Amino acid sequence: MKRNAKWAIAIIAAALFAFAMPGASIAQQKKLVLWTHWDQNPDFNKWYAEKGKEFAKKSGYEVEVVTIPYQGYEAKYLAAFMAKNSAPDIFMGMTHHWCGQYDFCDKMPVDLEKIYDQNLPKYMAEVGKWKGVRYGIPIEHGNFQQMYINTDMFKKAGLDPDNPPKKFDPEWLAAMKKLTIADAKGGEPTQVGFAIRSKGAPVGITDKFLPFAHAWGARMLSPELDKATGYANSPAMVAALTFFGDLVTKDKVASLAFGNPEDAFGQKRAAVIFRESWYFGWLKKNAPDVNFKVYALPCQTVCPGAGALFPWTDLVYKNSPNKQVAWEFMRFISNAKDDMDHHQLQGILPVWTANLESDYVKSRPDYQSTKAMLAQQVPPTYFHPKSNELATAFGEAVVGVMFGKGQPKALLDEAAAKMDRILKD
Amino acid sequence: MRQWYRIVFPKNYLDRRKRAGFLFVLPALLFFGSVFLLPLAQSVLYSFHKITPGGAREFVGLRLYEKVLTDPTFWRAVGNTVQLLLLSVPTTVVLALAVALGLNRIASLKWRNLWASMYFLPFATSLVAAALIWQWIYEPVYGFLNYALSFVGIAPQKWLQSLAQVLPSIAAVSVWVRIGFDTMIFLAALQSIPGEYYEAADIDGASAWQRLRYITLPMLNAQIIMVVILELIFNFKIFDQVYATTQGGPAGASQTIIMLLYDTAFKFFRFGDASVMAVFVFVTLMVVTLLQWRLLRRPVEY
Amino acid sequence: MAASPQAGRVLSAAAETSTSVTRQVHLRWIIALAVACGAIVVFFPFFWMAVTSLKTAPEIQRVPLQIAPDHWLNFDNYIEVFKREPFLRYLLNSAIVASIAAVSSVVVSSLAGFGFAKYRFPGRDIFFLAIVGILMVPFQSVVVPLYVWMNDLGLVDTYMGIVAPDLVSVFGVFLMRNAIEVIPNDYIDAARIDGGSELKIFFLVILPSVKPAIATLLIIKFLWSWNEFFWPMVVTSSPQMRVVTMGLMSFTNMYFIEYNLLTAAAVISILPILVIFIVLQRWVVQAVVMSGLKG
Repeated sequence: MKRNAKWAIAIIAAALFAFAMPGASIAQQKKLVLWTHWDQNPDFNKWYAEKGKEFAKKSGYEVEVVTIPYQGYEAKYLAAFMAKNSAPDIFMGMTHHWCGQYDFCDKMPVDLEKIYDQNLPKYMAEVGKWKGVRYGIPIEHGNFQQMYINTDMFKKAGLDPDNPPKKFDPEWLAAMKKLTIADAKGGEPTQVGFAIRSKGAPVGITDKFLPFAHAWGARMLSPELDKATGYANSPAMVAALTFFGDLVTKDKVASLAFGNPEDAFGQKRAAVIFRESWYFGWLKKNAPDVNFKVYALPCQTVCPGAGALFPWTDLVYKNSPNKQVAWEFMRFISNAKDDMDHHQLQGILPVWTANLESDYVKSRPDYQSTKAMLAQQVPPTYFHPKSNELATAFGEAVVGVMFGKGQPKALLDEAAAKMDRILKD
Repeated sequence: MRQWYRIVFPKNYLDRRKRAGFLFVLPALLFFGSVFLLPLAQSVLYSFHKITPGGAREFVGLRLYEKVLTDPTFWRAVGNTVQLLLLSVPTTVVLALAVALGLNRIASLKWRNLWASMYFLPFATSLVAAALIWQWIYEPVYGFLNYALSFVGIAPQKWLQSLAQVLPSIAAVSVWVRIGFDTMIFLAALQSIPGEYYEAADIDGASAWQRLRYITLPMLNAQIIMVVILELIFNFKIFDQVYATTQGGPAGASQTIIMLLYDTAFKFFRFGDASVMAVFVFVTLMVVTLLQWRLLRRPVEY
Repeated sequence: MAASPQAGRVLSAAAETSTSVTRQVHLRWIIALAVACGAIVVFFPFFWMAVTSLKTAPEIQRVPLQIAPDHWLNFDNYIEVFKREPFLRYLLNSAIVASIAAVSSVVVSSLAGFGFAKYRFPGRDIFFLAIVGILMVPFQSVVVPLYVWMNDLGLVDTYMGIVAPDLVSVFGVFLMRNAIEVIPNDYIDAARIDGGSELKIFFLVILPSVKPAIATLLIIKFLWSWNEFFWPMVVTSSPQMRVVTMGLMSFTNMYFIEYNLLTAAAVISILPILVIFIVLQRWVVQAVVMSGLKG
């Protein structure tokens, strides 16, 4: 037994020693490291590495793309930036967080900045900027919501799928009512007009409610993003939230029992959903038998416009030893053709204005609707460092109304007060 | 201090024995010190500062404690966590005990191993994968649970979407994940109870219930305490399952303390506040564990 | 000693009436049935998972629900999983990391368990509480300082880096302490009288007596480490160092979950566990039987 024990320890020690050697060391090849958490777009991400091979011929640097799970990415980014030398050179994130709240971003060189000022559509002008200074390249153009309708269900309800309602109250609401099939026994409807988002974190719920808010002419914060009371609980906002909440509680054209709105629409249980342009890719894959069309969102006092809470941008790490090379790479891919190839690969909308009239874009199901929405006025943006916390506080009010926990005015007053406290802190 | 001097420089055999005991424990203590002590101390330090890493740090004394401890959102998270605890811990421990007792009775080793492996399998799945699969089973429209219930005439329930049902639903998943782990511990312990005790009880004509109460449970006392303490700690810190599925919804009804801590630290960038929550978690768990230790520990006569 | 329990048993057996015997047999069957039903209920989500991994995405969305997939031999999802991610490498990494964690935990925990169970030294109870206290610190609040420390040690993106917080199991210390406590002190004193050093006693007397606990700890720690997600995610970046849980998460994203691929990946990540468990089960059984004979 003694001998066996000694052998056992020796083997264990040897094994531990062997495995304690660092894992496969990175090749001698110089490289730029790019982190992204856009794991739903693998082809988009791989393109950087492909381009990196071309870039290496000029500069000697390849590009290594690391895809990070979306869940927990904030912690990983922060840890890496704090530790400095294991941080990426280029990373994808929101400017107002990493450059505004923290100080981890490098300023974009002036020449590159000019290129983007000239070539971005007016809706995208602020994306990638913080306090007027540009730090990064916007990568997503299609993340504003549009209206998807199920053409078969429209026809069945006696509505014209080529001519959807253009105003929330009363036309759109009336259409929703026609599209809802109530349950005879008074339970949940078997089919609803509108697929509403009621699950998940309050930030997502705020995101889905904002088109309604903007259509009523309301805004979450003051234009300087320094005050919430008077804006988040303005009469217009209360009216918008009342309309929204009534969809569930009074008119019953939306239901909380339908799970994911994406699934509900895909299963033909809901006739209308407001979703971004990635959604028709999902539909083709998961629900290929759904016949749909994409339209601009309805308006009310104003049109909601192409708004977004999440301006994803490619940024350069301030303390990266390779930041000059990183900007070289950004210059290398900052042209209309690369922008086109890059986004077409994944089936998403390109960013450069020049590409918005290309054949590829014209062939997309959301071409007309995107054009229509971009023609509307630019909605308010809320690119504030505390945007997560503010949107969470606001979202609690929206959710509260949906679940019948209170009245719109009272909940919005509470949320506005909380948002002001957050802003002041 | 004199005791410590004698540990380092032992004078007699007894001292050498004490030193040996300490040395056995040393590797674990070194690990504790290096991996957790410093970050914990840093957390406590942060809880007195208003900070943004990479940004400014400002000493604010107890202000953050006041802020967090008077925040209704914080107490809502505490309430949710405690509710989850009360739902999952007793259920897990009692069910695990019952299953272990049942498994112990099964004579055929082949069948016992088969059933034991099936109970244990949930523990072999990653928490996130398990939660996502359960989320789908709970799906109101196309999930299996409502489908099965429809055969017995029960209307489809909202489960994770319902304010009232979300916590019990999550608790059920926690029980499912952890029951195998506890069962295994209890089973191993049951199999180490010397048969003589039971034979003696048989001679005395004890009933099954009496055997359970006077022999089995006291012999398992140490394991039961360990399991209850561990279950309490793990369920208090519940994070992965809820974050992957409900994300605290609907309407904050399933937001747990650790979820709020994560959001506060990494999404709201308020590390000072998050550190206050961490201190709160640590102190609460420490106090509860100490209480359990004192109250539940019963000396066993061998 | 041998005579009286046997005699007693014969007497009590004779005293039992036949109905009591059948009642006992019935009870045994009912218990077995209950245990079996419970096991099947607990197993059901895995069956569901396996069945789902054979469906295409539209099939999964289908309403009303259909349990069986359209084609039972549809392995497209599995092929896609391996195409998308180097899953074999992930499995290897997880295996290496989990093995190191399991072995290291057993070694350190049994040493510490021995120290806590059978020795008295100043501060013993406080140290024990300190170690249990490790569990009470929310990991999310130590992750950034821990990462910075790992970075300073050059362990980021390495096996040791992934394993570092997992090298000692608090549960292991607890378990070993409980297991060692019940070893009669006479055995230990006898070994001491025979002139054994404390370390020798550890190897010759203690370890053989707690084989079931060691096996339990090995299995549990291996699984626990295998299923870790947050820390491995933070500390690794290169694709060749990733672990299985990260592979699983790559089928979820901010917009949707690809259930068909997620379930296939989950099945892939459980299969090795099942194999290991079946193999180790025999060893556990052997260990238990052997220790029973010794006791």
